[in-house]
Amino acid sequence: MMQQATRPLPLEGIRVVDLGQFIAVPFCTLWLAWLGAEIIVIESRRRMTSRTAPPFAEGREKEPDASGYFNQLYSSKKSVTVDMTTVEGRDIVRRIAGVCDVMVDNFSTGVLEKLGIGYEAIAAINPGIIMLSNGAFGRAGPMANSRGLHSAVNLFSGVADVTGYVDGHPRILGGVLPDPLSGTYSGFAIMAAIYHKQRTGQGQFIDVAMHEAMLSLIPEAVIDLTMNDVEPKRIGNRDRVNAPHGIFQCREEDSWLAISVTDEAGWAALCEVIGHAEWRGDARFATLEARRANIAELEMNIGQWSIGQNAHEAADLLQRAGVAAGPVLRLDELLDNDQLNARGGVVTIDHPVVGPRRQMALPWHMDSLGIEYRRAPLLGEHTREVLTGLVGISESEFARLDAAGVLS
Amino acid sequence: MTGHAQQTLQGPLTGVTIVELGDGTAGPYAAKLFGDLGADVIKVEGPEGDSSRRRGPFPDGRPDPEASGLFMYLNVNKFGVMLDLDSAPGLADMHGLLARADIFITNYAGKRLTALGLDAKTLRARYPKLIVTTISPFGAEGPWADKLGDELIAFAMAGMAYSTPGMPDASDDLMKEPPLHPACFAADTIGGVVAAEATMAALLGSGKTGEGCHVELSQQAAMAAMQIRDVTSASYTGAQYQRLLNPVTIGRMPNFYLPCKDGYVTIAAPMEIHWERLKEGMGNPAWAESDLYSTEKARTANWITLRQRIMEWAVTVSGDDMHALAEKSQLPIFPFYSIRKMSDSDHSRERRTFAEVTIGGKAARMPAAPFQMRGTPWAMRRPAPHLGEHSATLLKGGVAA
Repeated sequence: MMQQATRPLPLEGIRVVDLGQFIAVPFCTLWLAWLGAEIIVIESRRRMTSRTAPPFAEGREKEPDASGYFNQLYSSKKSVTVDMTTVEGRDIVRRIAGVCDVMVDNFSTGVLEKLGIGYEAIAAINPGIIMLSNGAFGRAGPMANSRGLHSAVNLFSGVADVTGYVDGHPRILGGVLPDPLSGTYSGFAIMAAIYHKQRTGQGQFIDVAMHEAMLSLIPEAVIDLTMNDVEPKRIGNRDRVNAPHGIFQCREEDSWLAISVTDEAGWAALCEVIGHAEWRGDARFATLEARRANIAELEMNIGQWSIGQNAHEAADLLQRAGVAAGPVLRLDELLDNDQLNARGGVVTIDHPVVGPRRQMALPWHMDSLGIEYRRAPLLGEHTREVLTGLVGISESEFARLDAAGVLS
Repeated sequence: MTGHAQQTLQGPLTGVTIVELGDGTAGPYAAKLFGDLGADVIKVEGPEGDSSRRRGPFPDGRPDPEASGLFMYLNVNKFGVMLDLDSAPGLADMHGLLARADIFITNYAGKRLTALGLDAKTLRARYPKLIVTTISPFGAEGPWADKLGDELIAFAMAGMAYSTPGMPDASDDLMKEPPLHPACFAADTIGGVVAAEATMAALLGSGKTGEGCHVELSQQAAMAAMQIRDVTSASYTGAQYQRLLNPVTIGRMPNFYLPCKDGYVTIAAPMEIHWERLKEGMGNPAWAESDLYSTEKARTANWITLRQRIMEWAVTVSGDDMHALAEKSQLPIFPFYSIRKMSDSDHSRERRTFAEVTIGGKAARMPAAPFQMRGTPWAMRRPAPHLGEHSATLLKGGVAA
């Protein structure tokens, strides 16, 4: 376990009540937790966040403390079990929110308000609270109540309009990207709101629409359409300006090499490496304009070279010559990637139920501030600590609530 | 002092001063996110200007470094100065700016920064309170630290290309449909967002320590960090990621991305209750009662013919009707929206998802705030600067109005 806790943690002293589910909000609070915030996750046996989701540790399927999905997204957080379907449960959530700096959720629009724990209700007792609410299409507008998975967000955001093979139909981006991307924006927004509150005392409500987070990826297409009436085009792995810019097949099964040439020096180097120095004087390819005009032919020729190469070796050859190139990595190759590991980009976190497991660390370093990676909590591990400590519920009252099933 | 109801026209980061030495998307976008929230961002460009000035899109396609749409988007809410950093006076002016900045953000190559004496180590020693954020394709350490990278390479080396097309879409043919990159700056933008979050954490942290911080970001690592779902699968099961369309990649069927009458649509009905609703939505066709599709297991086993049957129905239904069906049945069905249709939608209008801008005299829309802070609303305080627009005011120790 990598810890730098001797340095101050940037978010130490910030307390967050986390009503998140799926990936977007848990991903947001995962990084806040690693940066030192105290994240109090509200769950219950009726609503077990992602503890019921695969993958599980081998032979421990369906065990609430053995879900990889949960354990990787909830590292460094606290688990408090409270049944929000009960009146007393909702009151406990209100009392926890009353002593937090931040509250986050990604329920369907309106759910928290129905439970009496929406922003207005919490702000009435804790006016300085920062509440961030993350939804597929946001919390305002005619589609605020529409539901959408990551694929719907992709399809609505406009990103699918620029994702596809040459002249082909719109395709869906991988990696359930709307979730972690909107979660990253959420983390930035929360910290900006904390900064503002430290200076003004003022809290606020933050509305995150996942499709607006995705829209931030496609300014060129939006502007060309609305300024010039130019319809977006699917152009495969090509670039609107530079050429060649593509992904080429290599020798081993389903192995690929990405090559990006952005200037004439890179083009000259590419020609040398692939044994076609004569292309530099070839009218079909000599200039950027010519390469764009004859791109299909150029790509075919590069492909004839790459198919005989190992992707990693070819990337090294090109890099040494001064061409931006790299192997296309599969997701399961990331944990073993030399470069990510060399800079501490993969962290191993031990856990009493599932043992040591690897996951992606924070993707940046800080030389004067700490990061803390701790294991995910067991179900309800912090219920007593938070309720009798932070909230100030007496032991006898705690016992009564527990017996009544409110804390299950 | 305390309260939640009032709005303020000042951004939440008012009073923070940032110097940006950025090019393209990653560095400029990180700094833009601060400028959007009210920080004073001073963008430093060389005499040739930021490369996105030469990329467009331009009004009517006519290249003009003062009318690039991408440059406008990435650099609104900033001041701009032009400095020749290879000259002694230019470098001195740069230090003049850094001496009164809280944050320095750059995605210039490490070698170039070192040659200029603007590397993190030198700046941290000279300006102990300064936050120095460096963004590079692979990070400052490790075997790939000095390798050449950009949008495409970082995207490919973070697993994103291999996973696109992504669920419930997938590759139909491993040869004809290679790993795919979208025609936009995805990895660069995401590198910028993560750099902004990292820098913001350092700003809060420096309030505790009273000293600066070097925030060192790898774009490959930032993009790879987005892959938490699939990396978790690798970590727990060790299974090789599959990108070909089949139940291993897509899960329980039906879960399809298909053509419809006027576009494309996702249709999912993984559980029995969903299947019943989908059958009803399709008008209870006779084929759906066949033993081939009577159980979850059977539907997954016979997914190829199931996909064909559902496609034959889907191509007769419009996207709007699919949307109506989704609302009525609560099924995860969603049609593709073109950028035009989305930007013209009531939802976009009511949310003010887009900002109106003028680029080289021509009206355009661009994406506005990527999140909406109700207490401190997003505003376009100023358009992107002309090259050197604020040099005269900012380089004589003055404060730009």
